[in-house]
Amino acid sequence: MPVTLTINGQRHQLRVEPRVTLLDAMRTRLDITGPKRVCDRGACGACTVIIDGRTYYSCSMLAVEAQGRNIRTVEGLTPIDSATGATSRAGGVAQGKLHPVQQAFCDHDGLMCGFCTPGFVMSTVALLEKNPNPTAEQAKRALDGNLCRCGTNIGVLKAALSAKGVVRG
Amino acid sequence: MDSRAPGPGAGRRAPENAHDRIPDPGSRSPQVAEVQAPARPPQHPKYPWPEKPRLIGTRISRLDGPLKVSGRAKYSYDIARPGMLYGRILRSPHAHARLKSIDAAAAEKAPGVKALLITIKPGDKILYPGEEIGALAAATEQQAADALRLIKLEWDVLPALATVEQAMRPEAPQVFTPANTRRGTAQEDGDLAAGFTAAAHIVEGTYSTQVQTHTSLETHGSVCEWNGDNLTAWVSTQAVHGTREGFAAGLKIPQANVRVITEFMGGGFGSKFGPDIQGLLCARVAKAANAPVKMMLDRKEEHLVTGNRPSAFARVRAGVAADGKLTAFDAQTWGTGGAGAGSDYPLPYIYTFPNRRRTHTDVYINAGQQRAMRAPGHPQGCFVTEVLMDELADRIRMDPMEFRIRNLPAPGPNAMWAKYFPMGAERINWKSRHVTGDPAPGPIKRGLGCSANRWGGAGQGARAHCEITADGSVVMRCGTQDIGTGNRTIMAMVVAETLGLEVSQVTIEIGDSNHPFAPGSGGSTTAAAVMPAMRVTAGKARDALFERMAPQLGVPIEQISIGVGTVVVSPSTRDSLPDGPAAARSGQPPASRSISWRDACRLLGTVPVSVDGQWERGLSAGGTSGVQFAEVEVDIETGITKVKKIVCVQDCGLIVDLKTAETQCYGGIISGLNYAVFEERILDRNTANMVNPNMEWYHMAGPSDIPEIDVVLVDQPERGVIGIGEPPAVATAAAVANAIRNATGVTLRSIPITPDKLLAELQRAGGTN
Repeated sequence: MPVTLTINGQRHQLRVEPRVTLLDAMRTRLDITGPKRVCDRGACGACTVIIDGRTYYSCSMLAVEAQGRNIRTVEGLTPIDSATGATSRAGGVAQGKLHPVQQAFCDHDGLMCGFCTPGFVMSTVALLEKNPNPTAEQAKRALDGNLCRCGTNIGVLKAALSAKGVVRG
Repeated sequence: MDSRAPGPGAGRRAPENAHDRIPDPGSRSPQVAEVQAPARPPQHPKYPWPEKPRLIGTRISRLDGPLKVSGRAKYSYDIARPGMLYGRILRSPHAHARLKSIDAAAAEKAPGVKALLITIKPGDKILYPGEEIGALAAATEQQAADALRLIKLEWDVLPALATVEQAMRPEAPQVFTPANTRRGTAQEDGDLAAGFTAAAHIVEGTYSTQVQTHTSLETHGSVCEWNGDNLTAWVSTQAVHGTREGFAAGLKIPQANVRVITEFMGGGFGSKFGPDIQGLLCARVAKAANAPVKMMLDRKEEHLVTGNRPSAFARVRAGVAADGKLTAFDAQTWGTGGAGAGSDYPLPYIYTFPNRRRTHTDVYINAGQQRAMRAPGHPQGCFVTEVLMDELADRIRMDPMEFRIRNLPAPGPNAMWAKYFPMGAERINWKSRHVTGDPAPGPIKRGLGCSANRWGGAGQGARAHCEITADGSVVMRCGTQDIGTGNRTIMAMVVAETLGLEVSQVTIEIGDSNHPFAPGSGGSTTAAAVMPAMRVTAGKARDALFERMAPQLGVPIEQISIGVGTVVVSPSTRDSLPDGPAAARSGQPPASRSISWRDACRLLGTVPVSVDGQWERGLSAGGTSGVQFAEVEVDIETGITKVKKIVCVQDCGLIVDLKTAETQCYGGIISGLNYAVFEERILDRNTANMVNPNMEWYHMAGPSDIPEIDVVLVDQPERGVIGIGEPPAVATAAAVANAIRNATGVTLRSIPITPDKLLAELQRAGGTN
């Protein structure tokens, strides 16, 4: 069936089966691969996106349900730097262009393999847009829907508590 | 057992082989408690580590951070190729069954299906749930899943073994050949009878640890694309070269025809060293369909078939003399690594029992096979030994840390526990520790515990190629991979250090089997294998640059050296002598002159510096030691344990990037915390099917479960680089278990320490106080 999705401010028209999740539509049809498929049943948060200001597990929402809504993925935080381009080579995204939350994750080493990272970044952005100065307890609560297997949580928490300059959403 | 069944070494990567890839000197003779001498750097490497490094030992942010936090790092799971199909694997729903018939006709004709393979035939047996039966590729994931369901299978379901207890019963059905168990020979040292005679106290108990699965967030799998007879495979792997070899062997094609790419990789923890069955099936269906195929496992498959840490059981009898010296250790141990795979682990761990005996029995059950998992064997041996140590300490009423120090092997660069224990004790406030059982009133009981760990971490054999071009670019190519450790970043640090540059001026190209050979990333060996190759190769490139510059500058090569962002030309020795001609003319010693890196490289013209180098002895070593302390709060009404704080004192030789090394420790500790109180693979006792093959009932710590973690990294620059991925993961569970014991006064000899187990034990003991 035809579906129109607004992702990172851009409209996409595509045809998918009704059973296709928002996550799979983004990943397999639109090459938006920041959101990861890890548990595929709403337990790990690696597919977290922000829809109309709230975090959602995109694995647990059908693409058809997401029509007419404002979907933000991790890619939308960092427009591709036209000067350097986003290459697959490490360092291709210019350091200065990162969103404050992304920069904080880099500065505090809140990532290792990086597979959970887009989800954690989006949950942190959603938190800070509502509450720019969370306590440690509030930050942990807000991130409790995300799991990391490498054990980056210490850096993630430091990043969430130190990122400044996030515009209230 | 038919010939296709996965006995040890029968075609699949047997765990013994996996162990061989992990050069941990300690685990080769698991019973030996003494710590073997560390690999020592010899005296005079040609490119030694700098005495006063500029970058090494500082905190550098990961170079691939920006790509990962922006979602633009492309993992194997993210690769999309033109015309790509989606593959799915047909798997056994049963734990033990014989195939009666298979009918795939409908699936072959199903919409979107482009290729279908069946890999077993009627009469064949399967030995665990999820065992591969076949595979197909279709235009969409949904079509692939639909087609799988159309395959009709008929089975004779056979009796299955779901637990070690079931497999060890004398009347158990014989599922494995020659038997369901394999008893090893007893390992003995000293005089056991004399040891027990000398004991003032004896502790007897049965200890156990659970099966845990790797649960890498990126599942196993690949994208395979053929171009004629040449295969390019984007694989989620810890070993691009090992995986190339695996594809070539499995597909019977030359290695020259295979290229394996792993630019980014979403975790492996020891479970991803080859193409595996799913990689070979992916390549085969891609060939049959004449199109690229992506075949990534789903979460359930990941839990069932891609490896796990074996369970461990130990029936132990141990003695201690009145003076606090250990006298004797006698253990029967067993465990399961699944269908035909081993389960051995080092025991006793670290502490010196002068008289000891141990016999280990592998028990086979109808479940997926084990693989090396983050410090294979060590967390098991550590848990059993360290909980026993606390029990023994209580018998002689000695502080458990003092008791440990009294029974340590001789100190050495890789055996520093006697120094580290007091360091950790200070930071956890050990002197505030009460004796076993918190006397405070109320349901919340607090406690402290400690434990120790050791690991190998030596590596060798990495090769690299370095180019320096006239525009000042530096490209280092090496067929290693960054599995999340920060390998890419520390490589850049060593190269930049050697060439006087910043890390951002160095391009590191890894994760491609077309690059020079480097070993797989397992056993915490990567840093110790790759950093020497970086130092040597960059050093050779630097020398080659100087050689090219010298005639153009008209100075001997000895007068050229590296500055910071510059190449420095010193005055000649003759000039710099006080009575030399230059000094005579000016009355001042002549100054050296600096040429910018860019200008220096410009002298190269069109022909770049292009050199090969490799790992050399003397820049890395093996053998680490560390201790951990845990502080917990246990609610004895709910049985819920809250780990409040972990202190970790750990060495790993020369620390390259302090920032990523600390993160490795945090990560190891959190994995140990999961092992202590959360994770467990649970199999249905009747069907041997896993009942929690997901991420909500397979419990792992979330952000609110993470304690304060205090890491003290001890730098040992004189030893060279040693790996740090596994050592900090070993001791956490034992320290937490001992802290829970200290808090509650009851001894849990089994992890994970879940509320149900703790409440049952508290009830048996009649509660605390």
